[in-house]
Order: sequence, then C-alpha cells, then structure tokens
Amino acid sequence: MKDETHPGQTKIVCEDITKIFIQKGKQRVHVLDHISLDVKENEFVVILGPGQSGKSTLLRIIAGLETPTEGRVLLDGREVEGPGPDRGLVFQGYMLFAWKTVMGNVEMGPKLRGVPKNERREIAAHYIHLVGLDGFENHYPHQLSGGMKQRVGIARAYANNPQVMLLDEPFGQLDAQTRYFMEKETARIWETEKRTILFVTNNIDEAIYLADRIVTMVGKLPGRMDVVYNVDLPRPREHTDMAFLKLRHEITEASELTL
Amino acid sequence: MVDIANEIQQQVRERKPLTPAAMLKNRWFLYGVSLMFFFVVWDSSARMFASGLPRPHEVVLQLWRMLFDPLAGKSLLGHVWASTQRILIGFTIATLVAVPLGLMMALNRYVNAIVKPLFDLLKPMPPLAWISIAILWFGIGETSKVFIIIIGTFVPCLLDAYNGVRLVEPELYDVVRMLGGNRRDEIVQVCFPAAFPAIFAGLQIALSIAWSCVLAAELVSARSGLGFIIILGMNLSRPAMIVGGMVVIALVSWGMSQLVSVLERFVCPWKREIDSP
Repeated sequence: MKDETHPGQTKIVCEDITKIFIQKGKQRVHVLDHISLDVKENEFVVILGPGQSGKSTLLRIIAGLETPTEGRVLLDGREVEGPGPDRGLVFQGYMLFAWKTVMGNVEMGPKLRGVPKNERREIAAHYIHLVGLDGFENHYPHQLSGGMKQRVGIARAYANNPQVMLLDEPFGQLDAQTRYFMEKETARIWETEKRTILFVTNNIDEAIYLADRIVTMVGKLPGRMDVVYNVDLPRPREHTDMAFLKLRHEITEASELTL
Repeated sequence: MVDIANEIQQQVRERKPLTPAAMLKNRWFLYGVSLMFFFVVWDSSARMFASGLPRPHEVVLQLWRMLFDPLAGKSLLGHVWASTQRILIGFTIATLVAVPLGLMMALNRYVNAIVKPLFDLLKPMPPLAWISIAILWFGIGETSKVFIIIIGTFVPCLLDAYNGVRLVEPELYDVVRMLGGNRRDEIVQVCFPAAFPAIFAGLQIALSIAWSCVLAAELVSARSGLGFIIILGMNLSRPAMIVGGMVVIALVSWGMSQLVSVLERFVCPWKREIDSP
C-alpha cells in the first residue's frame, strides 16, 4: 500500500458488485449484476450506456451513497463504507445550494472540513478560476446559465481536492453547443489538474472525446458490463477525425442499442 | 476563459418612445384607470343608495376626524395600535413556538409521531370557533384575543415550516455528505436555508389570518381596536365609520405584509430576483 501516488497504480477496484433494490414491500429490482472494474490512477474512464442501464447506480455505489448488495468497492485498497470528501461527485441536476453564491458553493467542502476562512477562500478562488468563472464569485445560481451552473458543480467537487472525480451525466441537461463546449472544458480542466475520473454518460461522442477507456453497459436491467474500449487517440481530439469516427462506428455496431 | 460570455443571459431594457399607444399599454397608467373606475362606481352608487353607503370623501373626512377626536378614550392611531399590538404579541408567540416545532417534526420522526396526531386533530377547527371558550377561560380582556390569534396563526406557521423541510431535494443532502459533512451540517447548511422561503410564505398567510382573528375577537367584545370602531359605527348607524375602519385595516394589514416581505428579502437574498415579475 505504499507509494500510492505512483502513476499507473490501481486507484478504484469494483469487486463483483451486484445491487438489488427492494421497492415497496417485496418487489425486487435487479439493477447491477456482477460488475468488476479497475480504474488506474489519473485514468479517465467513461461508463457509457443508455438510460436504465444501472450506470448511475454504479457511480453512487462508488461514491458510497448506496451500498452494494454483493461485492465491494476499494479505493486505494481500503473498502468504501460511505460518502466522503476523498471522492468528488458532480450531479446531473447540478444540485447547487440556491442560497449560496458561487463562492459560497465552491468553498462549502473546505468549510465543512473546518478549513479556516482565508484559506478556503483562496482554494475556492483557485477552482473558480480553473473552471473559468472569474468575476461571477458573488452571483447566485439562478443568475447563471446551465453550463455555468455545472462549472460551479465541478469547481465545488474539485475544491475538496478529491483523489477521484465522479461525474454523473453532468452535461445531460445542456444544449448541444454548450455540451460540446463543456466537454472541451472538461478535457482542459483534467489536463490542468489530473485526477482519476469516472464519467457516466449516454452520449457516445462525449465518451470518445473524453475517455482513456470506455466501458459500455448493456441496454437493459440488470446492468451488466458489455465491452471495454481503449481509446488511444491523441489529445486534443477532433469529432471529425477518421480514427474518432472509426471507433464511433465500432462501438455503435457492437452495442445492441443505438447510443 | 472569456468564452463563457456567450453563456451569459443578458437582459437589455430598451427605452421605447412615448406614443399614445404605448401610454395606453403602460402598467401605471392602467393601474390609475382601474382605481379611478373603482372610485367613480363607488361614488355614483353611494349617491344613488344615499344612506347605506358613504361616499369616498366622507370616509376620508371621518378618518380625519377620528385622528383628533378620541373614541372611547383613544384616537384612531390608538385603536390601530391596540389591534396591531394584539397581533404582534400573538403572532410572535405563535411563530416562535410553531416554526421550531414544525422544523423538528420534519427532522425527527419521533417528534413527528407525537405531535402530528394532536396537530391533525386541531388543524381543521376554525380558529374563530375558539372565541367563546377563550372568553370563558380568559375573560374579555387582552388574553383571550391574543389566544385566538395564536390558535389561528399556529397552523400555517407550523405547516409551512414542516413542508419547507420535507420538500427539500434529497440529493442536496448527498452533496453535503460527499463534501464531508455530517447530519448536523445537513440540517444547518441545507434544511434551514431551504425551508426559509416556505416559512416566510407561512408567515404571510398567518398574518392575514391574524387580522381575521383579531377582528372577530374585537367584534365580539372590545373597548378598543379597529373591530371596535366597526362595531361602534354599526351601533351609531354611521357607515362612514364602518368603511373607514375597513379601509384602515386593509392599509395596516398591507403594510405589515410588506414588512414581512422586506424581512424575507433581507434573510433570503437569493430569492430577490426570482420573485419580481
């Protein structure tokens, strides 16, 4: 367990995870079926699957917000037993604190961990700058556009300096242009501040644009892992690049559903 | 990253030239037309029905006189203060008890299990139904009136505080826990601020109920207050006094509601631009 920062070392291990929800009374919903996945340090892994394929549940289990029915999640060799600031979660619905300014939202993590005010202001300012929101520190979330809100969500997760970033369809509510722009920004932010990233999406272009490795999920419950693709295209990537399109074709062919 | 400028939604307010057509559509102009129409209809019907309905200027004159000539030992402002004081006392007591109780019911299921059945039993009883028993218990003095106001305002205060917390987006708790917070942080950072707008909505409703309560209590028995003025006007067959009392109640009630709005804007600055049309 020594020398955990060595690049290439395994960061997250999902061991044979199965999740069954019990809904009202006795109805069992089998959501995840024997998922095993290793993620290396500073690797960008995208979990790609259509709606209702259990991918968000998998992310919530890694976040510690759900407990797996079987199997376990290891982070740096230690079992995940609940949510914690070593993992940063970005939500599809932004989930900003409407009563806090951009600054108040971003500094919340350090604040909850008892970081003194001056220090956490500095940390927050750094990440607000990283996501490109300089000058919006004192705006409230309702004064921001969707893309800007999610920038705040990303900065807020980053501000705790987590080892792992978990993004749950973060750009699902954005229009196509903003989404494309935010993907570029995500790649830029990741290049600037490397982290291990698990990114859930149903968008195939988004997956190829961002991922080191793409894990596809089958299109129905219980969620199972389908195919794993290594994406070794040079960065920054182009959506119209031949290799990009070839991989896109390959993934579309292989998955039963249109992604 | 200056590129995000294209994401900012800007509101540009244009200045339109002042044409007759634009003036006819002007909001303030239409407000004026509406009020003018109301007073003309009021005045002409008052002239037709002679005694039953006072004319607008008679009401104003009556109020002016009451400002200086005391009725039952109090000038108009004295009566306004008598009613307002009752409301402030009752409203404050009810708020200080009901809001924390509602928050605790939403946060703790044991508190909820103990309080909710009692509350559900008392909730459907109209507050005015308590007037007779209140007079039996506390006499016709101030206590019975304050009691009625407490009964009436307790329900909306508690309900809105309770619902304010219950309707918080559960994923916001996930955010706090992922950022390293505990249950206390969830309550302080999410529950309370998220419930504030609902609490203020409850206060507004409670305030208008409080005015109904204080009036009803004063109509039954009082030597002071705006309800007393209305009853006196009825007994003396002076419609101007009755309508004058009604107008003053509307004004004072509106003013207090504005005060609560100002307080809300102060406590919840993030709501400022959502509310304004």
